Amino acid sequence: MSEGTKSTLYYIAALGVLAFGLSYAAVPLYRIFCQAYSYGGTTQQGHNAEKVEDMKTVTDRVIRVRFNADTAASMTWNFRPQQSEIKLHPGETALAFYTAKNPMDRPVIGISTYNVVPFDAGQYFNKIQCFCFEEQMLNPHEEVHMPVFFYIDPEFVDDPKMQNVDMLTLSYTFFEAREGLQLPMPQFAR
Amino acid sequence: MASMTFGQKSFTPSPPQKGSFPLDHQNECKRFMLKYMLCLRENKSENSLCRDESRNYLECRMEKGLMAKEEWTKLGFSDASEPKTT
Repeated sequence: MSEGTKSTLYYIAALGVLAFGLSYAAVPLYRIFCQAYSYGGTTQQGHNAEKVEDMKTVTDRVIRVRFNADTAASMTWNFRPQQSEIKLHPGETALAFYTAKNPMDRPVIGISTYNVVPFDAGQYFNKIQCFCFEEQMLNPHEEVHMPVFFYIDPEFVDDPKMQNVDMLTLSYTFFEAREGLQLPMPQFAR
Repeated sequence: MASMTFGQKSFTPSPPQKGSFPLDHQNECKRFMLKYMLCLRENKSENSLCRDESRNYLECRMEKGLMAKEEWTKLGFSDASEPKTT
């Protein structure tokens, strides 16, 4: 084999290895890209208290947030929202309440997850504090009110896809926490 | 979410910034919650007109140890009179 052919072969082999390596690196790189630019509905990491402090309310947009409550079929709690909707501005923090009552004679542990529709708007919905993803225990015949403290990111108004969106629906679903229960929970939940 | 239609956007829930509210088993702050609900009902569910009531509720929670104390500006209340520090 001549020198020219050998070096060409080496180049091609090196190119092959590079392409192989890039396809492996693409997975974490793509994830970082998606999180940085909130592409495809992934939420931004790093929403923090400082952002809330500097947030400016956008007073010329009013958004209606409707509240929905569901329980899994086997979950016995009476779970309902205390208000059907709240009208607020992007950048304004708001409080909403749900009420849950345990009608059983035994303590029941529940765990909840939530959903926001439309999906595209979900990335702007930020919860400062709520009651989701952690086990909550209700004693027999106990009723508690559960608050959700949230805001809609002011960057909502800069998104062209959100021009015609004036209603969001926040939906919580409670499941009973049991050993070995597989929930549609995200990775970070306990 | 378990059922994801291929190619369609889906919603990924995110954790709350400050975690979970402990349950108010004794209903210590129920009065403030009811005041807030009343305010919402009177004002046609407008949040901007009921900010004082929501701040009172959160203040009750902080006093009763049901919420970590936080400065009001960090919670989005810029017009508060007395900021509580952690």
